[in-house]
Amino acid sequence: MPALEVDSLHVKYHSASQPVQALADISFSLAPGETLGIIGESGSGKTTLALGLMGLLDNKTSVAGKVIYDGSELLSLDETKRKAYRWKRIAMVFQNSLEILNPVLNVQEQVGEPLVKHLGLKKLELENKINELLDLVGLERDWKTAFPHQLSGGMRQRVLLAMALACRPELLLVDEPTTSLDPIARREIIELLERLQKEYGFAMVLISHDLACVARLTRHLLVLYGGRIVEAGKTEILLEDPLHPYTRGLINASPNFFAFRDLWGIPGEPDGGNAAGCAFAPRCVQSLEQCRSEIPVLQLLSGGRKVACSQGGIMTLLEVKGVSKAYRLHNKTIQAVNSIDLEIRHGEVLGLLGETGSGKSTLAQILGRIIKPSAGQITFQGKPLNGELTRREKGVQLVMQDPFSSISHRFKVGQTLREPLEINKVGSEQERERRIIEALTRVQLPFDELFLNRYCYELSGGQRQRLAIARALVMKPALLLADEITSMLDPSSQANILRLLKGLQNLEGFAMLFITHSLDLARKVADRIMVMRHGSILEQGSTQRIFTRPCCCYTKDLLAAAFEHEHN
Amino acid sequence: MTIFEYFITLMIILTINFFLPRLMPGDPFLHLSGEAGLEFVTFTAEQREYFIAHYGLDRPMSEQYFRYLSGLLRGDLGFSYYYKADVAAIILSRIPWTLLMVTAATFFSLLLGIFLGSFSAWRREAWQDKVTYLLIVIFSEIPVFLLGIMLLIVFAAGLGLFPLSGAITPFSGYTGFALTKDILHHAMLPVIALSLTRAGGIYLLVRNSLTTILAKDYMRTARAKGLSEGRIRYRHALKNAMLPLVTRVTMQLGGMVGGVVLVENIFAYPGLGRLMQEAVFVRDYPLLQGIFLVLAFSVLTANLLADLLYRFLDPRIREI
Repeated sequence: MPALEVDSLHVKYHSASQPVQALADISFSLAPGETLGIIGESGSGKTTLALGLMGLLDNKTSVAGKVIYDGSELLSLDETKRKAYRWKRIAMVFQNSLEILNPVLNVQEQVGEPLVKHLGLKKLELENKINELLDLVGLERDWKTAFPHQLSGGMRQRVLLAMALACRPELLLVDEPTTSLDPIARREIIELLERLQKEYGFAMVLISHDLACVARLTRHLLVLYGGRIVEAGKTEILLEDPLHPYTRGLINASPNFFAFRDLWGIPGEPDGGNAAGCAFAPRCVQSLEQCRSEIPVLQLLSGGRKVACSQGGIMTLLEVKGVSKAYRLHNKTIQAVNSIDLEIRHGEVLGLLGETGSGKSTLAQILGRIIKPSAGQITFQGKPLNGELTRREKGVQLVMQDPFSSISHRFKVGQTLREPLEINKVGSEQERERRIIEALTRVQLPFDELFLNRYCYELSGGQRQRLAIARALVMKPALLLADEITSMLDPSSQANILRLLKGLQNLEGFAMLFITHSLDLARKVADRIMVMRHGSILEQGSTQRIFTRPCCCYTKDLLAAAFEHEHN
Repeated sequence: MTIFEYFITLMIILTINFFLPRLMPGDPFLHLSGEAGLEFVTFTAEQREYFIAHYGLDRPMSEQYFRYLSGLLRGDLGFSYYYKADVAAIILSRIPWTLLMVTAATFFSLLLGIFLGSFSAWRREAWQDKVTYLLIVIFSEIPVFLLGIMLLIVFAAGLGLFPLSGAITPFSGYTGFALTKDILHHAMLPVIALSLTRAGGIYLLVRNSLTTILAKDYMRTARAKGLSEGRIRYRHALKNAMLPLVTRVTMQLGGMVGGVVLVENIFAYPGLGRLMQEAVFVRDYPLLQGIFLVLAFSVLTANLLADLLYRFLDPRIREI
C-alpha cells in the first residue's frame, strides 16, 4: 500500500487579476521509504505541489482532488486535524531563503519547537535532542544560539534539515536543497540527504532544478510543465532516454548533468500555454495542429513509463532497418555498411562517431539518397524514403565535408541559394528573396546585392561552408545530415560554424545527424551518440552515458585515446 | 545615535528652552502686577525695576544665557518668581502625576492597539476588520481635549461615576488601599481619553506590520511545523511586529506629552502639564525652562531606551 497517494490534484490561484491554474490533474503515488524527484522550470508548479501536500495553500487558492496519506484523505481535514500530520509525519525542508527562518528567534528555538509541540520534550531532554539533531546534520553546537542572519547559506540549509527531521517524519518533502549553495556545500548536503534517507528510511519527495542531485537521490521522477505531469518514470531511465521533448530540453539545459556538453536552453518562456491545448506546444519542436487543440493525457507506456504527449513523446523522424551497402573492389566484396538499425528522433542531435573508413559517410550518403543501399529499409516520417519526401520543405538536407566541391564555384552566391527553391517551385519571387536573405542572416553572412553577386570561388572555406548550411536551411529541413562539416576548417571557423549550427538547431528544432571522428565535438554538440566501426554500430546511448560509462571496448579505447590529456 | 549626537541635541534644546519664553510679550512682573486675574498683587514701577534687577533680567541676554547654563551644570534649575520656591522642588512634586498619566496611557494604548491590531490582521478584509478599523480611526481622529470634555460631561458630570477634577479627593485623609483606589478613580477618565486617542496609531501600525509579516516565508514555515495557533501568532508573528512598534511608541512620546498637557488642563490634574500652563500664564521663565528641560530630557531618554530595546529585540542589529 502506498504511503502517499495523490489523485487528480488541481490547484488554482485566485489572487492574481485572472485565476491561474497552478496544478492540473496531478496523480501519483509513493511507497514508504521510496524516493521521488520532481523537476521542471520555475513556475511549473513544483513548490505548489509540495505546499499542497502539506496543506499549506492559503484561502485564495482552490484545491480539488485527493491527497491520501496512510489511508486518510488530508485535503478534507480541518486545520486542527491536519496539525497532527504536519511535521510529525510529513515534514518539509523548505527552499533556502533569507526569510525562511524567523529572524528574531534563534536556531535552538526554531529547531526545538516542534519537539516541544509534538513530542512534549522539556529542558534537558529537549536540549539533548537538539544537540543530537545538530550533530546529525553536521552543524556545530555553538550555532544553537545564533540567529538566522548569522548563518551562511549552507548552515541555514542544515538548520532547515535538522528542523525537518526533528520528529522523525515518515515522509520528507525537500524543496530545492542545493540552489544557492557553493559546490562544496552542495556536495555535503547531497551526501547528507543520501545518508539520512538510507539511515532513517523516510520516503522523500525531492524538488529540484539540479538534475545531478535528482539523479543521485531519487528512484522515480516526475516532470512538470505548466502544472501538469508531462512525463513520469524511473529516474535513471527517464534521464537517459527522455520521451517528452520538454524533458529532453531540460536535460540539455542542465550544466551539471553532463558538464562537457554545450549549454542550450529551451527557446521561449513558459506562458501558461493556451487552455485548450498542450501547454508546451508553443515551444515544442514537433508540435502539430492537434497539439494546440487538445490537452494530452498522461499515457502509460511499456516499462511503467508515462508520457503526456499527443504524439506519444518525441517522434521518430527517420528509421533505418537492416541497411547494408557492399562495394565490389576487384574480386573482393567490401561491406561498407553492414546491416545497420538506427533511429533519429525529432529535434535531436545524433552524433555518429567512428574512425576513417568506418562507413559513416557511406551511411550519410545513403540517407541523403546519393547512393542506394544494397539492402534494408529506410522510413522517413513513417513513409519509405524517396525523393519526393526528402527534396521538399521539411525534408532531408545534406551538408558535406568539402564545401569547395559541394558547391559549384561557378555559381554566384544568390544563385546557389535560389536553385533549390526554384527546382522545388517554392513560393513566389519575393518569398524566395525573403528566404534567401533569412538564410544568409541565420548563418551570419552579408546579404547585400554585392555579396549575392559574388562568385563562390571568391569565398573563403568558412564562408563557403556557411553558404552550404544556408543552402540546406532555405528548404527548412526536418533533418540535416552534417557529414564532417568542419573537418576542413581552422579551429576558429570550426567553433563559429558549430555554435551557429547548434544554435540554429536549438532554435528551429530540426534533427541533425552529426557525423564526426572528433569526440570532443560530438561531446559538445550531440544529445545521443552512436559509435560505428567496420560498417556496424557498436554502441549507442545518451551522450552523458557513452562518455561517462561506455560499455563497448572499442568506445573505451576511443575515449582513452581522445581524452588522454584530460587525465594527466 | 551616538552619545555625542544626543549631547548636541540636548544643547540645542537647552538653547531653545532659554530663548523661547523670553520671546513672549511681557515679563514676569508685568503679569504679577495685575493682568493675571486671580492674583491681585500689585507692583509699583519701582518695585518692578527692583525685581527685574534682582533676578538679573536687566542683564544682556548672553550673560543671562551663560548664567543659566552654569546654573544647570551645578544642578540648579533656578528659582521660581511666582511660587517663590526652587524650580527643581516644584517640578519634582508634580512629576509623579504626569508619570502616572504617561505610563498608564502608553500601557493601555499599547494593549488596545496591539490587541485590536492583531485581531484585525488575522481577519484582514473580513467584516470584523472593517468595523474595528472604522471605530479606531474615528476615535483617534477626535482631538484629545474634545474627547476629554465629552468624557467629563457624560461620565463625571452626567452619570457622576468619576470625580470632575484633581488627582485625589482633597482633605480626605485616605491612606493605603483607600488612597490608591482614590488615585485610580481620579486618573481613570484622563487616562481613558489619552489612551483612546493614542491607540489609533499603534493599531494601524500593528495591523499593517502583521499583514506584511503574515505573508513572510517564515510564517509558512511555522504553520508547516504544526505549531499551535497561539505560538504562531504571538511568538512568530507578533515578536517581529514589535520592532517597528518600539520605534513608534518612543517617537510618539513627544506627541503624548502634548496630549498630557491638554488632558491635565481639562481634568485639572496637578501634573507637569497643568504646571506648564500656569507658568506660561505668569511668564515664570525659570519654571518654564525647568519644565521644558525635564520634558525634553525624558523624550530623549525614551529615544535612547528605544535604541537599546531595539537592539535587544532585533538580533540583526545587535552586532552593529
